[in-house]
Amino acid sequence: MKKRFGLYLMLVLTLLVSAACSSDTNANSGSDSDSKDDVLKVWSFTDELKEPIKTFEERNGVKVELTIVPIADYPTKLKPVLESGVGAPDVFTGEIAFLKQWTDRNYWENLSEEPYNADQLSDDYVDYVFDLGKDSEGNVKALSWQTTPGGIFYRRSIATEVLGTDDPNEVGEMMSSWDGVFEVGEKMKEKGYSLFPDEGAIRWFSKGEEPQPWVNENNELIMTDAKLNYFDHAKKLRDKEYTAFAPEWSPTWIESMNGPIGIDKDGEEGEQEATGQTEVFSYALPTWGLHSVLKINAEDTSGDWAVTNGPSPYFWGGTWLGIYSGSKNKELAWDFVKMMTHEEEFLTDWAKETGDVLSYLPVTEKIKDDFSEPFLDGQNNYTFFLDQAEKIEAGIVTKYDQQIDTLLGGQVLEYVDGKKTKEEAVNEFYKQVKNAYPELKLPQ
Amino acid sequence: MKKLDHKGYFFIAPFFAIFLVFNIYPVLLTFYYTFTSYEGYGTPEFIGLTNYIRIFSDSYFYEAFFNTWKIWGLNFALQLGIALLLAALFSDLRFKIKGLGFFRAIFYLPNLITISSVAILFSIMLDWRHGSVNMFLQQIGLISEPINWLNQPVTAQVSVALILTWMWFGYTFIVLMAGVSGIPGELYEAALIDGANRWQTFVHITLPLLKPIMLYVMITSLIGGLQLFDLPMLITDGLGAPEGSLNTMVLYLYNQAFRYNNYGYAATIAYALFLITVIFSAITFKSMYRKSVKE
Repeated sequence: MKKRFGLYLMLVLTLLVSAACSSDTNANSGSDSDSKDDVLKVWSFTDELKEPIKTFEERNGVKVELTIVPIADYPTKLKPVLESGVGAPDVFTGEIAFLKQWTDRNYWENLSEEPYNADQLSDDYVDYVFDLGKDSEGNVKALSWQTTPGGIFYRRSIATEVLGTDDPNEVGEMMSSWDGVFEVGEKMKEKGYSLFPDEGAIRWFSKGEEPQPWVNENNELIMTDAKLNYFDHAKKLRDKEYTAFAPEWSPTWIESMNGPIGIDKDGEEGEQEATGQTEVFSYALPTWGLHSVLKINAEDTSGDWAVTNGPSPYFWGGTWLGIYSGSKNKELAWDFVKMMTHEEEFLTDWAKETGDVLSYLPVTEKIKDDFSEPFLDGQNNYTFFLDQAEKIEAGIVTKYDQQIDTLLGGQVLEYVDGKKTKEEAVNEFYKQVKNAYPELKLPQ
Repeated sequence: MKKLDHKGYFFIAPFFAIFLVFNIYPVLLTFYYTFTSYEGYGTPEFIGLTNYIRIFSDSYFYEAFFNTWKIWGLNFALQLGIALLLAALFSDLRFKIKGLGFFRAIFYLPNLITISSVAILFSIMLDWRHGSVNMFLQQIGLISEPINWLNQPVTAQVSVALILTWMWFGYTFIVLMAGVSGIPGELYEAALIDGANRWQTFVHITLPLLKPIMLYVMITSLIGGLQLFDLPMLITDGLGAPEGSLNTMVLYLYNQAFRYNNYGYAATIAYALFLITVIFSAITFKSMYRKSVKE
């Protein structure tokens, strides 16, 4: 009898639990189907869309569901969702690192077609930004509201002390060639400063100097002289001790933005003043580096900064936005993309509020002259970056860039550390590229 | 004849359903991928045994294999050594060390810290020019030049092995202590009366009776060790630098799949890893088991 009772109890419990579950799911699916047309699902890898989404919700009386996936997992998480279409977003963003892997797939709706006709917008955008959103046949797949050219952010007080001026034009003039960069580096060293945080800082200039894609249409790896020179330039920076041994994103790198860092350079005899502490003069960072990196980490030195050009123009990062081709909510999705990328009223507010450098020219033309950034002692970084953006070529971006750049950086470091000769390092780099992408042909 | 009751099957069915869908199916699918070239998009392309031929001549895979063994081997030797020493100390009747629970907690603590925190902590401490380890060693005059710990193959591997030891010796110690507490106290008392010294007690009583536990520790550690991934990944930003010395098998697999989009080849590495794990677990088990049976 007792046994029976236990069994009944379990049965009742099981029924209760399953009833609770099913009523839950019913409730959910019910509300889903009621408001299906009003919920827009957006996936991104940063929180920068949070504010625009609020505006969009208020204006249209709809609900937007934003899913933020950390960038390291973003492509991996998104891929199966897009492939299967289960739980897929209506709108998703792409970062430059994987943009080219996606434009040639059918994940993003073709915006060149009716009713979007995005081709008509081509004159309104910074060229390279618009072109990067196209697939290999020239169809627009994704749009971007921002442009992300880079420059060199430097400390005004150090420039005045060492170079005799803190004027961005004059400093930019001095840094506009490699010889000039090393000259400035020498002067910095004499006064105990470090020109760059570490040797990796110059990698962007080696990319921008001789703009060629890593891989051409015949699947051949292209090694330019500028990239080969990157090995030598980096080695020179290390050997002459122009850097502070603070690799990008390391805690020391961040600390160095706010003031002197402890360092132990193994200088020659009689160079004892070089040991102890050093301050870093400049950082190679793009538009977003100002807001997301410097402003946050360099509170004590705020107002002591300026931005200028390096030996060559470059760009770093950027977020593109497109509609999932399998979305059932394309109209609303397009409204959102439209607002984010080419709606004057919204973009004007957005730019003024965040200082984000826009790629939509009708707005930038109007607002660019009024910018004055207190962090940069009132400098108008907006016009500077827009000028830089004009000089960038879009054709050089391939889907291989992120990984090949990383492999190259690794081998440059081995050479700089003196573990390999330049030839060994370059050959190892080729070997690694071949291992990662067996389909590529190596230069001979 | 007693009628058999089949109701039980309903209760275990959910487990098997989940097991089939989430374990067996992916395993079989992965096996299928080993014969394909697959970018992660679209349909996999069948390429026969190409991936298997490639893995046999892939110097990076061999490098990863030996790296994993070196790091795991050093880590396990140290870990087991320290744990055994501590177990011997704490089980010794003559010492009567108090506060076993307290020490257990202290030793186990590193295991509770998330691996990313551990990685950040140690990369700050081991930083070449700004790290506390070098500054301390220089201050006490042990070294004159800062050592670039994570930038030389040998020191990088030793560093990772030591960090792993620090993280895991507490766990091993707890497991061994559990084994020790299962040894009847009379044996130790008898040894004490017979005048056996500490070493004899340890070698002739503790060690032999701990053998099954040590076998368990060894096999679990081996399986975990061959899958070493997180620490090298976080310390080297996934590159396995310097000179590929921290490139472990799973890190290599991860890079092939999620960085270079070679899913087919990555699946092949996964199967190679599986085979290696099975073979070495079997060897360990056989050798240890036979010995204990003979005794």
